Amino acid sequence: MINRNIFRRELTRYRGSTIAWCISICALIVIGMAFFPVMMDENIMQQMRAFFENSMMKSMMAAFGASFDNLTNVLGFYTTRNSMFIMLLGSFFSIMLAGKILAREEPDKTAEFLLSKPVTRAEVFGSKLLAYLSYLLVLNAATVLVGFLSIELFRGESEYLLSSFLSHSLYAFLVMLSFGAIGMFLSLLIKRGRPSTGISIGIVVGAYFFDSLSRITPAADVFGYISPFKFVDSGVLRPDYGLEWWRVLYFVALSLLLFGLTLWKYRKKDILI
Amino acid sequence: MNVIETHKLTKYYGKDMGILDLDLEIQEGEIFGFIGPNGAGKSTTIRTLLGLIFPTSGSGTIFGKDIVKESKEIKRHIGFMPSDVNYYEKMDVIELLRYSADFYGVDCAARIEELAEVFALDLDRSILDLSQGNKKKVSILQCLIHRPRLLILDEPTSGLDPLMQNKFFDILRQENRDGTTVFFSSHTLSEVQKMCRRVGIIKEGRIIAVEDIETLRRKQLRKVEVEFASPDLRDRFAIEGMIFPRKHNHALNFMYSGRIEELIRVLAGQGVEDLLIEEPTLEEIFMHYYDDEETPDSEERGALQ
Repeated sequence: MINRNIFRRELTRYRGSTIAWCISICALIVIGMAFFPVMMDENIMQQMRAFFENSMMKSMMAAFGASFDNLTNVLGFYTTRNSMFIMLLGSFFSIMLAGKILAREEPDKTAEFLLSKPVTRAEVFGSKLLAYLSYLLVLNAATVLVGFLSIELFRGESEYLLSSFLSHSLYAFLVMLSFGAIGMFLSLLIKRGRPSTGISIGIVVGAYFFDSLSRITPAADVFGYISPFKFVDSGVLRPDYGLEWWRVLYFVALSLLLFGLTLWKYRKKDILI
Repeated sequence: MNVIETHKLTKYYGKDMGILDLDLEIQEGEIFGFIGPNGAGKSTTIRTLLGLIFPTSGSGTIFGKDIVKESKEIKRHIGFMPSDVNYYEKMDVIELLRYSADFYGVDCAARIEELAEVFALDLDRSILDLSQGNKKKVSILQCLIHRPRLLILDEPTSGLDPLMQNKFFDILRQENRDGTTVFFSSHTLSEVQKMCRRVGIIKEGRIIAVEDIETLRRKQLRKVEVEFASPDLRDRFAIEGMIFPRKHNHALNFMYSGRIEELIRVLAGQGVEDLLIEEPTLEEIFMHYYDDEETPDSEERGALQ
């Protein structure tokens, strides 16, 4: 299923842009975490407790997956920002990369070159999928490492469970993977093209919106389930916080289903140039 | 042995017909010309053979292997040159050629150098900076470096200057002598007639004729131009075997398929001022043999010329 030549080529092709994404997201993590000691030191949070306990404010914050307790703990603070930046930006990265890594050979008209080589469609798909997964793993390894270091650097007295941090990071990875699967599948439905940046970002933002809506309004709770973000457990401060099988199953099943459909479709697709 | 064989190969794009009931047999070691106007189905045929698109019905084999199920095996021994060359813009020429060669698992370094010299191609330039003609040269190298058993060339000469065309044809002849089969598509017959032994004519998705170039030439067709003393005399003239007469001032142009002696006999005493009898080009032979309409429509003539 893997052609080493294609895999190697794809691994160099997006190296520059992946490094740029890693640096941007990691910079945002560090800058964000630098605010944590500032807020704690000056007791800003404590003074604003009453304000945050206000019911309207509570639901507003809930929309962003935040709560007062969350913000005063280093991991809570990190994941609140995490869901804002790492997950959103990582999902943008993922959906866009997956959306073009396979499909762009058609609008770029290079598919004629590639598919006249002795490779099967499954090998082209497999090699590109593996390259995409490698990029996604690199991005996640970088953000987890920088995330961990910045938490350690800025946490002060605040305590947290490493396992909770790692579990939440894995959820973030799974969200990004799901959006990648969506992006790649979508890219094959578009004739002679690939999803535009606008459509890709729209899907991620739309999913984020539905998740936020479901968090504010209990009546809209059910709508949240069309969004992968809904399946991320944001209660990192619970002592028993960890990976829950049904959440993991959702992400893995969704990704496997969409990647599988992509392969099935790609094997039979007429490549029009 | 047939290198390429198709049986009732048909491709529809939705409701639009690409090719219909295509039967082709290309023999090992030959140079086969595949001729037809733009949009006749040449590229559709080639893309189906290469597994870029899948047949709606019918089947085909290359080297005796199924074009759908064993495409990968087949493509190990094929060199393909597309009509429109498009490569990864961020690569250098040499990077692209190495990338291409790596698919075949053969070391092509010497061959690349050798061919680059023949075609005066700078290997260190970026694909992005190449002119269409230079891209075409890269494409020539790309299809030859792994020493394929079958070359499939889709309008290979468009964008190449005559000097390079000749060099390219020399190389093709050389490859062919070494046993490589060549499948050469073109919209001009005159281009392939120097190279090919046999030609297939495709029109509106159907093969309308497969002929030996020599057979065609032997079809005793002559192109005749007679200048008469007056239009009256011109209009009175008639002879059996005259095809597609066309009047022009005092002159009459036509194709003649009878005996020359008979022509001269009939013409004698008819006020002939000038007479030109010549061998028609293969182009003209085809126009007259295979056009189903009485008068060839100008658009198609244009495409075929």
